[in-house]
Amino acid sequence: MSDMRIPLFPLQKKSHFIVFCVATAVVLVFSCLLAVGIGAADVSIDEIWKVIVNNVVGSEVYQREWENSTESIIWTIRTPRVLTAFVVGAGLTLCGILMQVLTKNPLADPYVLGISQGASAGAVAVIVYGFLSFLGGYGTMAGAFLGALISIALSLRIATIRNKVTATQLVLAGIAVSALFGALTNLMIYHTAVGSDKVKTATYWMMGSLSGASWDRLLYASIAFVACFVLILFLSKKLDVLMLGDDVASTVGVDTGKLKIAIIIIATLLTGVIVSISGTIGFVGLTIPHITRSIVGTKHMRLVPASMLVGGTFLVIADILSRVLVAPEELPIGVVSAFFGAPFFLYLIRRSNAKLGR
Amino acid sequence: MKLSIENITYSINSKLIVDGIDLGVEEGAFVGLVGPNGCGKSTLLKNIYKVYTPDEGKVYIDGKDLSQLSSRDTALEMSVMQQENVVEFDMTVYDMVMLGRFAHQKMFGNDMSAERKIVADAIEEVGLTGYEQRSFLSLSGGEKQRTLVARALVQQAQLIILDEPTNHLDIGYQYQIMTILKNQGLTVFSSIHDLNIASCYCDKIVLMKAGRIVDIGTPWEVLTPQKVKDLFGVDCQITTNEATGRPNIVFAPADSVAWR
Repeated sequence: MSDMRIPLFPLQKKSHFIVFCVATAVVLVFSCLLAVGIGAADVSIDEIWKVIVNNVVGSEVYQREWENSTESIIWTIRTPRVLTAFVVGAGLTLCGILMQVLTKNPLADPYVLGISQGASAGAVAVIVYGFLSFLGGYGTMAGAFLGALISIALSLRIATIRNKVTATQLVLAGIAVSALFGALTNLMIYHTAVGSDKVKTATYWMMGSLSGASWDRLLYASIAFVACFVLILFLSKKLDVLMLGDDVASTVGVDTGKLKIAIIIIATLLTGVIVSISGTIGFVGLTIPHITRSIVGTKHMRLVPASMLVGGTFLVIADILSRVLVAPEELPIGVVSAFFGAPFFLYLIRRSNAKLGR
Repeated sequence: MKLSIENITYSINSKLIVDGIDLGVEEGAFVGLVGPNGCGKSTLLKNIYKVYTPDEGKVYIDGKDLSQLSSRDTALEMSVMQQENVVEFDMTVYDMVMLGRFAHQKMFGNDMSAERKIVADAIEEVGLTGYEQRSFLSLSGGEKQRTLVARALVQQAQLIILDEPTNHLDIGYQYQIMTILKNQGLTVFSSIHDLNIASCYCDKIVLMKAGRIVDIGTPWEVLTPQKVKDLFGVDCQITTNEATGRPNIVFAPADSVAWR
């Protein structure tokens, strides 16, 4: 009985929650600076600061005493990459939270459910066969969104039995859907790419990579991310209620039908956009919300901003590791995130099995 | 009539579960719904609280057609307490009860001190003061159920529907929860398994069998040996409960000779 006295989660006070967010933000800023500094070409913190300030302000605040190549490494290559890492990590985390509320199951995330793989297949189909070319630069994102939409419909269909999503069913649905779309992606790539390009492109879409990051793509992704983030905050009270189950939520006053459609659209849109700029990076949406929930609790008004910060920071650090661990080579970032995420996934499965056995 | 049900018909996989039920519940009445397993009690209630949409028929609260009300407006008219369902995500007792305020709260600009007072009062009403920061999932069955009663109370609807509210609870909790609900002076429509509890708390009892209502009346009118036998197939004797003055059902299986 004594364990009941332990608070459910440590940071119940609002002030503690704010301190946690600020601390995470500080870690985030340092990780970003570190991430911009690390790489084949050495640049100093001083130079990073000056280049970024100059570019952000748009004039020479600091007199320029570094080479053009340093400027372009910092501003054109590494900065967008690091910011992309943040947006991808934060975005995948939000997708995970949405999938978990939708299925009322902590095992759900876009990767586990096969939605990321569906988005990949959609993006590759657009790139390889030129569908949706009338959309120009948005074509890949639109393709990824459509792929995500098809795969989420499929996987929720398989996972839902009598209006309930059980852990077993969810995992099985995820395996089936991700295998299907993964195979499709590979088929399309091997059908068209040549030589070593095949492996490279396939790895990109299956394991994720941030090496293609650019300011343009970052901009599109950020707009989608910020829009989704704000929408989710607006829905946060409804998400709290939906966690209790569809029936209960509707009797408490939530229009569950509309809410679930909104969740599906936001989650697939965000997944599509993220996958189109980074490929499939697994387990972020699973691990981060779970850890953050155990620190700040389940209320979405707090969970969403806090885990967005944690998720973004996590991926910035994962990106550093992916560049450092086998330097001068670069590991696909999905490998790094899977090393953290997969054991976590196993732990959650064990826990849900233990619950069934009680 | 607080709650009027007109010709509710509902079938699952073309099997008729609720067969054209008409029923009225008066303002302030505590009405029990009694019947054997699978007779359609829960399905009828789900048709009332809009988890199911009836194939035919309408439900009115104070003359308002429920199917025309939004989820939020419905929640302001009617609160529902179901059996405890399994939730995967834990939260504190306080937060759980606060979720019952959803329909009253706007996106911004809520008077949070008033909201907190309502929640604290409900928690006190169900005897859980001091439990506010406990984890909901760590509670015992009775404590969980009382938390859900508090959540239904903060909804401040005049009608409360109970879908097997005391299942799986030991006898002490069953009486405790029914007493709390009875004391609120609300209109209550509840399915009840235990005939003695129904007898003790209900102003009227509705007997249901095979998707139809077979009788409605006061406990003394409907809890007769013959009607109980027709409904459940068990013989019983009816005595008077000295404490409540209401019928007390003592079951006597047909071959009770064997126990002598």
